[in-house]
Amino acid sequence: MAMAQQTVNTAIDSLTAALKSNIIPNQEYFLQGSILDSSVEVLLHRLRGLCDNVDTNLETFHDHEMCFSIRGPNNTQPLQLRVRRSLDHNGMPMQLRYIGQPEIGDKSRPTVLRNSIDIGTSNTVVEFLTELGCRKDFEYSAKGYMFRKGRMKITVFKVFKIDETRKMMSSGGFDALSPLTHSYLVELSVLAPSGQDAIADDMRCFAEQLRPLVQLEKIDYKRLVHGP
Amino acid sequence: MSTNSTSIAMEAPVEMQIQEIAFDGQETYAPSLSMSENLTKLAQKIDFAKCGPEEVNKEITEIDRNEDEAEQSTAPPLWPWDSVRNKLRNALTEVSVLSDLLTIAKGKKYVVLDPVPQDPPEPKPAMMMVWARKKSFAGAASVLFSGAERLKNSLIEAQKNRSTTADFHIELLRLRQNFRLKKVNNTIIGDLSYYRSSGSKHFHRGTFEVTKSEDEPDKLLSPPCSPNPNSANKLTSALRVTVPGELQGIASIKVYFQKDQDSLCSSNLNTPDTAFSIPEIDWQRKLEVAQNVLFCKEIFNQLAKEAVQLQSPIPHVVVGNQILASIFPGVQLVICLSHMEMSTDGKASLPPPIPRHDQVLEHTLHQLLRELHEKNAHYLLPHPASAPLGPSRKRSCAGPYAMDREEFVEMTESQTMLEQVIQQAQHTQLRDRTLCILDKLATQYKDPLISVHWLWLNSPTYACIKVTIFAQGYDEIYRNLVIIHVHDTYLKCISRDGKVVQLSYESMELKNYILCQICRHQIMAVQYLAKAMGWQCVANSFNLGSGTLVETFGNASSCILVSPVGDRLISIHCDQNSRVQVSVAQTPRKDFFPGQLVKERKWENLGNSFKEVQWEKMIGKNFLGKMELLMTSLTSSWMQ
Repeated sequence: MAMAQQTVNTAIDSLTAALKSNIIPNQEYFLQGSILDSSVEVLLHRLRGLCDNVDTNLETFHDHEMCFSIRGPNNTQPLQLRVRRSLDHNGMPMQLRYIGQPEIGDKSRPTVLRNSIDIGTSNTVVEFLTELGCRKDFEYSAKGYMFRKGRMKITVFKVFKIDETRKMMSSGGFDALSPLTHSYLVELSVLAPSGQDAIADDMRCFAEQLRPLVQLEKIDYKRLVHGP
Repeated sequence: MSTNSTSIAMEAPVEMQIQEIAFDGQETYAPSLSMSENLTKLAQKIDFAKCGPEEVNKEITEIDRNEDEAEQSTAPPLWPWDSVRNKLRNALTEVSVLSDLLTIAKGKKYVVLDPVPQDPPEPKPAMMMVWARKKSFAGAASVLFSGAERLKNSLIEAQKNRSTTADFHIELLRLRQNFRLKKVNNTIIGDLSYYRSSGSKHFHRGTFEVTKSEDEPDKLLSPPCSPNPNSANKLTSALRVTVPGELQGIASIKVYFQKDQDSLCSSNLNTPDTAFSIPEIDWQRKLEVAQNVLFCKEIFNQLAKEAVQLQSPIPHVVVGNQILASIFPGVQLVICLSHMEMSTDGKASLPPPIPRHDQVLEHTLHQLLRELHEKNAHYLLPHPASAPLGPSRKRSCAGPYAMDREEFVEMTESQTMLEQVIQQAQHTQLRDRTLCILDKLATQYKDPLISVHWLWLNSPTYACIKVTIFAQGYDEIYRNLVIIHVHDTYLKCISRDGKVVQLSYESMELKNYILCQICRHQIMAVQYLAKAMGWQCVANSFNLGSGTLVETFGNASSCILVSPVGDRLISIHCDQNSRVQVSVAQTPRKDFFPGQLVKERKWENLGNSFKEVQWEKMIGKNFLGKMELLMTSLTSSWMQ
C-alpha cells in the first residue's frame, strides 16, 4: 500500500517537474494563408521540393473535426474544445484539443502565438464530453495534404461541409461532401514550449519562400468578426 | 533763281514703328532700320524671278513693240536688220550694266553682294526612308550572319570530335542526376556526404571538385550510357573529378572470428612486393567508391563509439582500426576497417589477406547503418492532422490504449548496432557448433540413425532443427523426435515426451543430451517392438547414470521383458556408447534341486539367473532386428 502511494507521489512529482521545467509543448506558433483551387498543384510541387521526405509519396489526410463548448456556472465566456479524428487511418486515437486566444502581437512578432494543449483519447470522448454538458457547436471535414520541414508542419486542405441528412447512413455522410469555398487553406504551425521565439523567425523565412503563390500571414479573427 | 517757285523741303517722315504702348501712355518705338537693313528689306521685296531680265526684256519689248507698232503703223520698216540691231543694242546695254555692277561690287565700297537667304531644298521623304531601312537591315543581317558562322563552326567541331570525346555539358548533366552539385564562384563543387541529407548524424566533409579535362596524358573514360555490359565503352570523358585525399582508395569492413590469443593486437609489415596500382576508372565509379569509403568510415566510427559506451562482462577493445568484441569466452569477433590508400607514387599497398571474412555480417553492418539513417530521416506524419509531430504510432497510442509502464519502457529500449551485430555473430557461432556436433554424432552412430532437418524459416538470431532418431527398418514402430531452437546464446530442446531443456552454448551439453536421447530411443523402441510381438515390459529405467566409465556423457537405460507365456525373461541394458547387454532367464528353472532350506517344488517357478547372450553373434541387421529374432525364438514353446 505504501509502495503504491509512493509510486503515485513520484508520478505526480514528475509531472509537476515537467511542467515547471518547460518541456511540455503547449504553445503553438501559427501562420495562415489561402490559395485558389487552380493554383494548388503549383504550391504542392513547391512544397514537395522544399520539405523533408522527398522520396515518399504525397501524404494525404482526411479528418473530421467537431467543436464543443461548455458554459461555466457564472455565464462566463464558454470554453471551447475540439475533437478531431482521422477518417482514413481508423486505428489512430482521436485528439482532444484546447486552443486559447491567439496573440497577434505587434510587427516584431512574425507569427500568431496561442496556447494549445493536445491529448490523445479513446473513441468514447464524444460521449464523455456530452455527459459533461458540452454542446456541439459545429463540425466540418478537412481533406488535404500534409508536409513537414524540421519542426514545422505545413497543411494544405479544403474544408467541407457535412451533409446532415446523410449522417444516418453507414458512411456517415462523408462520401458526399460539399466544399465551402473554391480555395485551399494553407497553415504553417509549430508546437513548442513557451519561450522559444526563435522558431517564429524560421517560420517567417519559410513563408517568404512560398510567396507570391500564397501569402502566409497573421490573421486577426477579431477584426474579421467586427468587419465593415 | 526764280522767286515764283516755292522751295519744298523734302524729308523722310521720322516715323518709327510703334512697338508697344504701355499702360501709362508711354510709347515704345521699334528701332529704326539702318541703311543696310533697309536695303535688305527692299531687296527682299524684289522678286528677281519675276522681275528678271526676261521680264524686263519682255516689258521693254512690249513697249518697243508698241512703239514699233506705232512706228510701223506710221512708217514701213526701214531696214531688215533693224530688229536685230535693236536686240543687240539691248543686249549690249544689259551686259554693260552687269559689268559695271560687278566692277563696283568688286570694289566693295558702294555695293556688297549679300547672299539672299534661300529656303532649304525640300527633302524627298520616300528615298530617305528606304535608305535608312536598308542600312538597319544590313546591320542586323551582319549580326545574324556572324552568329550563324559561329554555330556552324562549333557544329563542325562537335561532329569531328563526336567519336572520341563526350560533350562536357552532357556529362555534367549526367553527373548532376546522380550527385549533388553546386557552383561556388567559378568552380563546381559536389557533395558526397550523407550528413543531414540522408539522415546521418556523422559529419564528414565529402566534397569533390569537377573540372574540365583538357588534353591530358591519361584519358579518363566516361561511364557507359547503357547498363549492357557488352557495349564497348570508347568515349573519353570531358570532365575530371577530384576526390579529397582521405576518401581516395578502396575501403571495406572486414568481419571475422578469432580464437583467444595472448596478444591483444598484432602489427603487419607491408612488403613492397605486394603493391599494385588501381586502374583508372570512370567518374561514376570513382565517386561511388569514395562514397563507400565515407560510409565504411561512418560504420566504424559508430561501432567504436558504441564499443566504448557499452558495458559488457568482458569489455570491448578498440585498437587502431580494429574492434575486438568477445562473443563467447574464448571466441572473439573482430571488426576491422581496411582502407587501401593510394601512396604518393600511385601504387597502393595491400593489407594482409583476412582469413574467413564473413560477408554476411559485413552486409548486416551496412544494413544496420542504413536503417539508422532511415529512422532519422523519415518521420511519420500525424493522423489526425492536428496531433503533435514526433511520437511514433505506438507511442501516440500509448495513452488512449492504457499501456502500462513496463510496456512503455520496453518500447523505448532499442539495441545499438554493436549489440545487434554481436547477437548475430553469437547465433552464427552457435549454429555452426550445433551443426558440427550433430554431424559428428550422425556419422558416429549407425545403429539408431540420426536424421537432422533444418527449418527454412529462420532469422539472423534464430534457427530451428528437427532431429529424428530411428532404427532402419523399424521407423514405423518407434521414432524419437527432438526439436532444437537455436537462439543467440542458448539452445532450447524439446523432447518427445514434452520436457523442455535449456542448454547453454557449450557444445558438450548438446552432445550429452543427444546421447541420452539415443539411449532412450533404444529402450523405448524395444518396448514398442515387444508390445507388437506380444511380450510385456515389466520394468524399465532410463536414468542409470554412467557408471565407472571414463566418459561421462550420456546415460544408461535398461528394461526387462517377459514373454507372452511367461516363461522367458529378457533383460536389456543399453549404455551411452550404444553397447547393449542382453541376458535371458527362464522360468521355471531347469536345474531345480530341493535342498535343505528350499524343500518344495513350487520354488522352481522362481526364475534362474540371467545368462548373457553373445550379442555379436546374433543374426540381425541392427539392435532391433536382433531383438526381434531373439523374441521370436524365445516365444515358440518347443525351443529351449
